[in-house]
Amino acid sequence: MRTKVEVLNKTELDKIYQASLDILEKIGVNIEDDEIAGMMKKNGCRIGENNIVYIPEKVVTRCLNSTPRGKVRLSGRDPNKDIILEKNQKYPFIISHVLMNYYDELKNEYRTITADDIKKFITISDSLETISGSWMCTLMPEFGKMYTYYEYELAVRYTTKPVCVSSFEPEAVPPTLELAEALAGGKDDLIKRPLTLAYCEISPLTWNRYGCDMLKASARWGIQPAITVETPMGDTGPVTFAGNIAQKIAELLSGLVIVQILQEGLPVAFVVPLETFDMRTAQICLASRPDYLYGLAVGQIEDYLDIPFISPVSPDSKTLDMQQAYELGFSLLPRMLSNNKCIVVHGLDQTHAICNELLFLMDEMVLSGRRILEGIEVNAETLALEPLAEVASKMEGSRRNGHFLNHRHTLKWFAKEQLPRKDNIIDKYRREKWLEMGSKSFVKRANEKADEILSAYKPEPLPEDIEKAIKKIHEKYSI
Amino acid sequence: MDNRIKQIYDAVMSYDIELVKELVKKSLEEGENPLVIMNDGLSRAIIEIGDKFGREEIFLVELMIAADACMAGVELVKKNILENRIPGQKPKGVVVIGTVLGDIHNIGKDILKTLLETGGFEVHDIGVDRNAESFVSTAVETGAGIIGSSALLTTTAPHQKDIEKYLKEKNLKGKIKTIIGGAATSQQWAEEVGADFYASTATEGVNIIRRFFEGAENENKS
Repeated sequence: MRTKVEVLNKTELDKIYQASLDILEKIGVNIEDDEIAGMMKKNGCRIGENNIVYIPEKVVTRCLNSTPRGKVRLSGRDPNKDIILEKNQKYPFIISHVLMNYYDELKNEYRTITADDIKKFITISDSLETISGSWMCTLMPEFGKMYTYYEYELAVRYTTKPVCVSSFEPEAVPPTLELAEALAGGKDDLIKRPLTLAYCEISPLTWNRYGCDMLKASARWGIQPAITVETPMGDTGPVTFAGNIAQKIAELLSGLVIVQILQEGLPVAFVVPLETFDMRTAQICLASRPDYLYGLAVGQIEDYLDIPFISPVSPDSKTLDMQQAYELGFSLLPRMLSNNKCIVVHGLDQTHAICNELLFLMDEMVLSGRRILEGIEVNAETLALEPLAEVASKMEGSRRNGHFLNHRHTLKWFAKEQLPRKDNIIDKYRREKWLEMGSKSFVKRANEKADEILSAYKPEPLPEDIEKAIKKIHEKYSI
Repeated sequence: MDNRIKQIYDAVMSYDIELVKELVKKSLEEGENPLVIMNDGLSRAIIEIGDKFGREEIFLVELMIAADACMAGVELVKKNILENRIPGQKPKGVVVIGTVLGDIHNIGKDILKTLLETGGFEVHDIGVDRNAESFVSTAVETGAGIIGSSALLTTTAPHQKDIEKYLKEKNLKGKIKTIIGGAATSQQWAEEVGADFYASTATEGVNIIRRFFEGAENENKS
């Protein structure tokens, strides 16, 4: 049976959803853009004082109905590697997030990220089967303005997998979109394989000017929005799970309603972290005890809404230490167990830094998570009575001496059951052998693996026509 | 390598016991030299498989099944040699192996046995839970050049020391070499008990034993 963990029953999900609808209808959403507020009024919403827009259930239902359901596509250079978020996916997709800083554990160096760091990180991500795409948000000083475009261009140079971006600068959207269009193969293909761009609503229940600009930019250019809400528990969201989730859903739906009013039929994905306001340090943390439980609920909530949730994971640890492994494992595994559609892993240091070696820890964890999801297969062949009888029949004198090591049953099933790897960097040697191999830590082995990949693995280069398109974009936007 | 021998090699490399048997049988019926089948087809494949395992390119179960496939072919070739009274190839060396007193774990020993046999060695497996006298007397009876003892448990590993003691008592220490292995052993332990060699894996054991007999043969020649 396939593994799935559930923490909410249907009645509880119904109650949470009803609370979300009540929030939208009775508490309302603050819309800082008069044009959007006006359009919402025309579409059946009520406007109160201070541009508070009250959204009735029928408007929400209508907008949910006009949102394409079933499949959301995150695109990159190679259509065969596109991420298709849909019900009954075999495994969650894992995306590696590129952030503002680079942490080098072996040199004990923490630095502002460089283009070279991004190139290496994306190349390794491209080479790993467990990583399905990259998400860019570096705010890189090296790039200055138009960083959204720069980092998008840099990423697509080194991976053929999907690349999504988070943007805080509407002026960088047109060149980014033009490059996405060139990569998709033209305007029509861009509709089928859109650029995905994340931007944030402000909790509690506010679409500020920036958010509204991004919503309008999405609608104008047909960009697939990844609507993001952040409701840290006890800060800008209730400290209770049920209330916090209800607020999240209300805020997400408010974004969906606006998108559908601005451009009916645009596909939508939600980016939904669970942050905890840490009452001891006054820090907003993604990795926390509440997050580990929320991780188990994510898959259920997205299936209930039938809108994919892209779910961020981010350890707070500053180094590649035991805390890092604990936080990454406890954030990642519950999401996988709840069949969350897509998980974005944000390195370390509270979404501030990335690290190549961490990709290999994540890679191992994802593989183990997949094995857990596969569950335990019980049938005549896996019960293995025949092979056992055969093995048990082997005698040396009056003592059984058979084993399964040279049995065809083992050959047939070991890969499926154990999911072994030939290039495993998790140490399983005897101590003596480990000493002989240099007594290397996981980080050191991961570092060597990263070097090996960077010297041997060559990502598919950009085709010539795309290079020409990039040149034109640079000229047009003085980039 | 002719096509049929290449097919035998490929069948071992793809772990197909039945195909190995079928191809070896056909090859012998067609009049192929059994030693060519053995050396160029079967042994070559199992050496390659052993190397692959050493480089961690395949898993233990694959090594074991390939060894079984190889062994199935070797048995047919051996039978053919005996039936046709062709002077057989001399074994590359004679080895006695077993698991020490109190220890019934035989997997490592069995892997070593299969690899040695497929590699052209004459192996006398005395089984599990055997005392020092059994090891040494079998070695004397069979003219073995080396004794291999395995110990999985730290409680049974001291019996490897008994073998060294017994060899000394019988004035055979140095004349019959010893190699130890098993989860409870290490290079340090080998030095402590006075064993001549230590192998951390069965494939390493085969390589050490092969080098030992090659060295002994060269000494005899000179």
